[in-house]
Amino acid sequence: MFQSRSEYDRGVNVFSPEGRIFQVEYAIEAIKLGSTAVGIQTKEGVCLAVERRITSPLMIPSSIEKIVEIDDHIGCAMSGLIADSRILIDHARVEAQSHWFTFNEKMSIESVTQSVSNLALSFGEYDRKSMSRPFGVAILMAGVDENGDSVLLHMDPSGTYLKYGAKAIGAGSEGAQATLEEQYHKSMTLDDGIKLCLNVLKQVMEEKISSTNIEVGVCRKSEEKPGKFHLLGKDAIDTLLTTL
Amino acid sequence: MAVLVDEGYQTHPTVQHRFFPYAQNGGTVVAVAGEDFSVVGCDTRLSEGYSILSRDVSKVRKMTKSGLLGCVGFHGDVLTLTKMLDAKMKQYKHTHGKDMSCEAMAQMLSSTLYYRRFFPYWVYNMVAGIDNNGKGCVFSYDPVGSYERETYRACGSASAIIQPLLDNQLGYKNQSNANPAPLTRDRVRTMVRDIFAAASERDIYTGDEVEISVIDANGIDTQRFPLRSD
Repeated sequence: MFQSRSEYDRGVNVFSPEGRIFQVEYAIEAIKLGSTAVGIQTKEGVCLAVERRITSPLMIPSSIEKIVEIDDHIGCAMSGLIADSRILIDHARVEAQSHWFTFNEKMSIESVTQSVSNLALSFGEYDRKSMSRPFGVAILMAGVDENGDSVLLHMDPSGTYLKYGAKAIGAGSEGAQATLEEQYHKSMTLDDGIKLCLNVLKQVMEEKISSTNIEVGVCRKSEEKPGKFHLLGKDAIDTLLTTL
Repeated sequence: MAVLVDEGYQTHPTVQHRFFPYAQNGGTVVAVAGEDFSVVGCDTRLSEGYSILSRDVSKVRKMTKSGLLGCVGFHGDVLTLTKMLDAKMKQYKHTHGKDMSCEAMAQMLSSTLYYRRFFPYWVYNMVAGIDNNGKGCVFSYDPVGSYERETYRACGSASAIIQPLLDNQLGYKNQSNANPAPLTRDRVRTMVRDIFAAASERDIYTGDEVEISVIDANGIDTQRFPLRSD
């Protein structure tokens, strides 16, 4: 991939003669070092699951946060340089609240992602606030819109975002995506979706899967739409794991 | 404008200069929400003092396919405010890929007005249309953005003489044996037409023509009828 690595990989705002911006491609590579994150969209709602890499027994596992709430109806999972993602998350949260403030409605998942994507693309601009390099994270943005549609979106460091039925990112993404492509179908229930997420994680994780080394977030469509996004507690995850 | 103040003991009176940024250009808007429709009426007269500036200025404009906006007060501010709102509606459509709902438009207008809390747009607004659930809706405002969803409201120069009539006829206030029947499009349309005919007899800033729009799932139907033109 990088046979033509040259001076051109230094600047973030210079194309190489082949028409590439290397720093963006390297940032996409950075995602492959991150822990695996999986997202699934069903008619009944969406779910997100990520692996927590516990590198030391002295580490407090709950302090790793890779699934966060953006707004009542939107959650976000991330992989890559997690510190970078904080900037994107803060931005998304502010945008969602400001939309609610001005329009008295929940911001759609796509609009939140679009605004995050604008920020992700604003690297290398000559103002003090902007990032000097691309953000080294990929995110899965998932939730239920005000009209009841459940949505899963994937955004990478180039700011490109696409809708998915099921998507995996991070170190184990290749294997995980292959399994998803085999087993995911549009008409599956949310409960089956959650199980599939966990099965996929179980497959690609090096450690034995447990309620301490994964995080699970769910947004279920309900009568009082839009659905509420929430992280599952330890007990709920344990119960799910026994059914695998 | 210069104001001459005679302080009595001075040979030459002091000249004070003051800033009068607003004018009152008159006009009236009435809106009524029904079960699955709403009706908005406005007159078409634009005045300043004892002069009529125009006999053909509508105070109601179409914002979306199911939402209308009525604006009266200082016409200069009406023009700027509506131009700004049009731009915001267009931006919203481009960013979010859908038309603004009446509820969203109502909140957005409130914020827009409140941002000018200390140099307000001198405009009385009314949003009317069909809400997200297909029900008729009316939102009324003060010039700094305080707003409320209501079933009927009059605003503008003849509001003080029309609102009590609406309270009685549509709110069944001060009636001992009221028989509230569901509103029909025809009843409201006729009522609004009569109300404007009556208001134009007493209020010199309301007259020339009344423009009545009925909004429902099928779209917006607008008609005009003559009023007193003196």
